[in-house]
Amino acid sequence: MTGRGISRREFAKSAVAIGGTAALAACLDRGSASVPEGTDDPSTLPARQHAWNDALATDDAGNPRMPRHHVLLLLDYAGDGTPTDAHRERVETALRDLERAYAWHTEGLLFTLGYGPAYFERFESGPAGVDLPDPAALAPFEDPDFDTPDALLHLASDDERVVLEAEEALKGTRGTANDREMTASFEGIFNESDRRTGFVGAGLPADNQDVDGVPDSEPVPEESPLFMGFKSGFKGNQATEDRVTVESGPFADGTTQHLSKISLQLQQWYEQDSRDQRVSKMFCPAHAAEDRVEGVGENLGTDSGMDECPEDAVESGRRNGVVGHSQKMVSAREDDAPRILRRDFDSTDGGQAGLHFLSLQGSIADFVATREAMNGTDVAENAAVGQRVNNGILQYMTVERRGNYLVPPRSLRALPPASPN
Amino acid sequence: MNRRRFLAGAGLAGATALAGCGSLSSQSTRAPPLVEDRPDATYRPTHVEGMGMAGMAQAGDYMVGLTYSFPHRFWTVTGTTAEKVDIRSEDSLHLMATVWDPETEMVLPVSAGLSITVERDGETVADKPPWPMVSQNMGFHYGDNYALDGDGVYQLTVRVNGMSERRLGAFSGRFGEAAEATVDFDFRQSTLEQLSFEEFPDTQGERGAVDLMTMDMIPTSQAPAVSALPGTVLGTDKGSDAVYVASWLREAAFLDDGQSYLAVSVRTPYNRVPLPMLSLDGRVAVDGETAFEDALTAAVHPDIGYHYGAVVETDAAEPSVGVDVVAPPQVSRHEGYETAFLATPSFSF
Repeated sequence: MTGRGISRREFAKSAVAIGGTAALAACLDRGSASVPEGTDDPSTLPARQHAWNDALATDDAGNPRMPRHHVLLLLDYAGDGTPTDAHRERVETALRDLERAYAWHTEGLLFTLGYGPAYFERFESGPAGVDLPDPAALAPFEDPDFDTPDALLHLASDDERVVLEAEEALKGTRGTANDREMTASFEGIFNESDRRTGFVGAGLPADNQDVDGVPDSEPVPEESPLFMGFKSGFKGNQATEDRVTVESGPFADGTTQHLSKISLQLQQWYEQDSRDQRVSKMFCPAHAAEDRVEGVGENLGTDSGMDECPEDAVESGRRNGVVGHSQKMVSAREDDAPRILRRDFDSTDGGQAGLHFLSLQGSIADFVATREAMNGTDVAENAAVGQRVNNGILQYMTVERRGNYLVPPRSLRALPPASPN
Repeated sequence: MNRRRFLAGAGLAGATALAGCGSLSSQSTRAPPLVEDRPDATYRPTHVEGMGMAGMAQAGDYMVGLTYSFPHRFWTVTGTTAEKVDIRSEDSLHLMATVWDPETEMVLPVSAGLSITVERDGETVADKPPWPMVSQNMGFHYGDNYALDGDGVYQLTVRVNGMSERRLGAFSGRFGEAAEATVDFDFRQSTLEQLSFEEFPDTQGERGAVDLMTMDMIPTSQAPAVSALPGTVLGTDKGSDAVYVASWLREAAFLDDGQSYLAVSVRTPYNRVPLPMLSLDGRVAVDGETAFEDALTAAVHPDIGYHYGAVVETDAAEPSVGVDVVAPPQVSRHEGYETAFLATPSFSF
């Protein structure tokens, strides 16, 4: 990747979005605090690549708080057919180098490396014991394109220098990471087919709202962690890491990952809907009527308060003419627990307000069922609620792309065979 | 594409554009003040505007017509509340889409909705799904105010989603698929400003409505006259200012032996604009026995139009029917409709 000249203004807005050595150089010049170093002993790290929660900071209410900066690299394996042992070894070495360089922590670096159905087609059969379907359209009103790379790398940190530097180190354009030597890289093993970036956390959406999809009136509240002006990812609305972990077979301690790229259209949301309408559509009409959501929802604590909304979203929607996004999601719970673990974040990729909806679940079927609940097709049937109008937040988003992946356990993260011994 | 201007017929016949005024666009963003004491019913608005043609195209089973006018104030509806949407200073026009069946020329209110992307020179200018709306002179359409980037040729891409409403008779098996079409729209501020703008200082706020437009190329949405409805009309009633017509069909191609069909057509007074996006419960009793008690399903039929209905397992000739409005029509409203159809009346036929 070649360095591109960037203005300070662009840098101030989106070093991670710009990426590359120039953005990193500008970032390193500016940063001062040191980044915590990692470990020389990989056995101290969790067996699950997706075991992030213990490494995350928490907010005042005790909800795990996502790292603030994210890079997603969609990667194609450079070789034909099945991967070679030499490539496996180099990928593993490069990842261990990163773990040596950065603490497995939100202030250091958290990452996962997953593999798509296209990768497993290189083998005689799909991943043993895991159903990993090709991505599909998941609503009658969406028409997404599909991501079919071999692999998906997710880098996350509270420190934007870290995601940029780790990315460059893996690409082989930088010989050190956090001042530790890189002894291997992905160069010649993976080719990048797409690069996506984003952020989540108070202040970042407001700072990055000068994009298509957000009106010029700069409506995103400073304290909001996401473009839509409300918190999400409450502990009580998230599956546990245990719940999303593959239980048995060679990929036990792995998880499945769904990534969708969603564009946001927030002019109507911010300039036409009232606060009450926004609360009704994001949470439920009762939350709006009772004034239960303060600001971005800091007062809600560790869940979105769905116990206080009518339980039957279909009946509530028929009666109220509007149904909340959170309200619909209740029906997707299994054994009264959510089925997916959201690790999504906002984006300004392509100058468009968006959301990289990354979620982890035991099986892609869990995601499909959850998305089906969000579609609210059952609510719209025989009701004043439209398929998108007054139906949660569907009116304000368009799913552009979808992709499915298997995130293997840490021990199998480097170009795994489909049927490990 | 066809860029000829479509000025209104009946409702605007004789209306003069405010020639020589020279401030039409500012006039539109400073629309006349709302009537102070609006009735909780359909009322004559402060003004009506003419309409220009932006283009039309076939998209799958659908025909789509795009028209425009001055930016409007309008009201979105959630539950029983109408929320006013003000005109922004940057708004260039009110863009409207009408979707219809080219065979019957029936306007189709598709609750799955549509989305419109406005592009110029490959750059996206606007991308949002317009609101389903009713207007006295335009009837049912999808519309919103859009900010364009001055005069020029814009590409308007409309994606119409597949209908989830029950499709009956000749509509069976049609309109199930989403489809997309793009038209070029040559927008000129000066052309927009030539559209008519007629005020009604003497009659504004009175109960009543301006007439539906008639257009050469685009059908307007109008429910069938009561006398034209197939089957037996069980009754007509009015609630929250909307007109409810219950009809009973004992014979129809979509019915099996021993079945009948209850159809409830809900329309505006005066203009018979169909009102979609209602929650309705229905009850049918025959000789004191309940034959049906459930939600009514939104449906379209070439002769009944847009309505709410249920197949009932009886061939009784004279059922007694009850209809409860569970939620009022969640369509957005142009001026003159924003205070009407917001309550939840019940009826017996």
